[in-house]
Amino acid sequence: MTVPAPAALESRIAALTDADLARGFDAFRSKLSAAEVSYLGACVRCGLCAESCHYFKASPELENVPARKLDHVAAAFRRHATTAGRLLPGLVGARSFDREMVRAWVDAVFGRCSLCGRCSINCTVGIALPRVFRAARAALASMGLVPDDLQATVDNSLAHGNNMAITKADWVETVQWLEEELQAETGDPEARIPLDKKGAKYLFTVNPREPKFFPLSLQASAKVFWAAKEDWTLSSDPGWDLTNYGLFSCNDEQAGAITRNLVDAMERLECETLVIGECGHGYGAARWEGPEWLRGSYPFPVRSVLELMDEYLATGRIAVDPSRNPKAVTLHDPCNLVRHGGVREPQRRVLRRAASTFVEMAPHGEESFCCGGGGGQLAMAAYKDRRIASGGVKAKQIRETGAPVVVAPCHNCIDQLMELNKEYKLGVQIRTVAEVLADAIVPGPREEGGACPRP
Amino acid sequence: MASIDFNGTTVELNPEGFLANPAIWTEELAAVLARQEEGIENLGEQHWAVIRFIRQHWLEHDSAPMVRSICKTVGVPLKTVYELFPSGPAKGACKLAGLPKPDGCV
Ligand code: SF4
Ligand code: SF4
Repeated sequence: MTVPAPAALESRIAALTDADLARGFDAFRSKLSAAEVSYLGACVRCGLCAESCHYFKASPELENVPARKLDHVAAAFRRHATTAGRLLPGLVGARSFDREMVRAWVDAVFGRCSLCGRCSINCTVGIALPRVFRAARAALASMGLVPDDLQATVDNSLAHGNNMAITKADWVETVQWLEEELQAETGDPEARIPLDKKGAKYLFTVNPREPKFFPLSLQASAKVFWAAKEDWTLSSDPGWDLTNYGLFSCNDEQAGAITRNLVDAMERLECETLVIGECGHGYGAARWEGPEWLRGSYPFPVRSVLELMDEYLATGRIAVDPSRNPKAVTLHDPCNLVRHGGVREPQRRVLRRAASTFVEMAPHGEESFCCGGGGGQLAMAAYKDRRIASGGVKAKQIRETGAPVVVAPCHNCIDQLMELNKEYKLGVQIRTVAEVLADAIVPGPREEGGACPRP
Repeated sequence: MASIDFNGTTVELNPEGFLANPAIWTEELAAVLARQEEGIENLGEQHWAVIRFIRQHWLEHDSAPMVRSICKTVGVPLKTVYELFPSGPAKGACKLAGLPKPDGCV
């Protein structure tokens, strides 16, 4: 069973030595805890996970069944790490960890998995499949087998402090320009987008995609902070980019080095709380994985900007008029934010207050389907066709809501949704939560003597 | 590998529709890419101003420009950039300017 790997990887796979393979296998073992090792032999082959995976739903073939992907990984483990596997490989379904198997791993864990975790919550025996797939990616990473375009994104973060290699001058100039735009939009010449404000309560972080190509979402977040009279800042030096593609390449050292930028900026600027902008993997990486990568908890709390927006509305710090968003909106749940990250309700409460009509997708929340762009898929050109095909599940969900506006609190998801919009001719508008909220903001009750509508 | 037909020769694209070899870009090729990959039948003056600026920036700096400098240099509002290139500055404009796909969440 030969599965071709992306061309650049193929030549590296062909050149693997036995020592490389041994190193890769050791890396795999070292990434799994004792409990996770037990997952490798736990699958009862019930097949329930198949329908939970968007790859399988879109293209029902064996290689797309989560249990099959797990089996590719587990087979090598059975061969090399169990007594029965060493003595009687045929009997226990053990296969050698050789070049052929490395190809199968690349195809399974990079090529057909967005690490979305939906299979895991639907698994009969509770196998945490993404943990195993991440360990397999880590093994491939240790052998230099991360797809080049995914690795380039990590390398940018390591070399430039942001994943698009934006220079400090370009970043600062864009922020200043957006500040002028914000002043024009609000009619308030005092409206600010603070840079390097020492001792600010919140250090806010963004996705480099915003300053580089899609700055309206950053302007919208700034407008929300402006309306709430928040004490916040951005960092002009590294520590402004919330992304961390080390989460997807599964090189924990590099992931930790990227997280370090955020920790350093918090120290440098003496802020109270690190606020992660609208991003699924960025939230998961900073909030949950970062302390593990850095082997120690942070001396500061980490929150999602969605929680702040929710609080501003709940406490009446900002007032909104939902009729300013007359079109029905639906919401996509980024896997890393909701299923893995646990931030599920704040964005819903914000949309219910800020938009006239809010429609849920079916299913949603923890059971939401991945958009297809997660797990680094958006960065791996080789698997584009599968990414678009697997996103067909989300496209169908969107169409069924009938909502003309799709909100996604994640820039990675937004990019995938933009492509799905084009490929599946959905004809929808795709926005961040902040963009919807910013449009609904009306002058606060304090200034206007309570005349303005409050939710 | 995907490809398009260009004046009788085959031009290779990466799976996302970006030129496999950015060096072979010409304006004629941009027009063909616009039609076949982006569904833009005719590139107008503003399209060309944006595309030429991005191309020049890439030749000089080996990177895509910030959307800020596209707006400032070409003299178009941000809104217009999105209208001109419905797939956005990266997957729309940079693609037509023959750049490799930018890294990151695009
Ligand atoms: S983690 Fe998601 S993409 Fe990967 S196998 Fe499970 S359901 Fe499929
Ligand atoms: S649901 Fe769990 S036990 Fe059943 S086939 Fe899938 S991985 Fe195996």
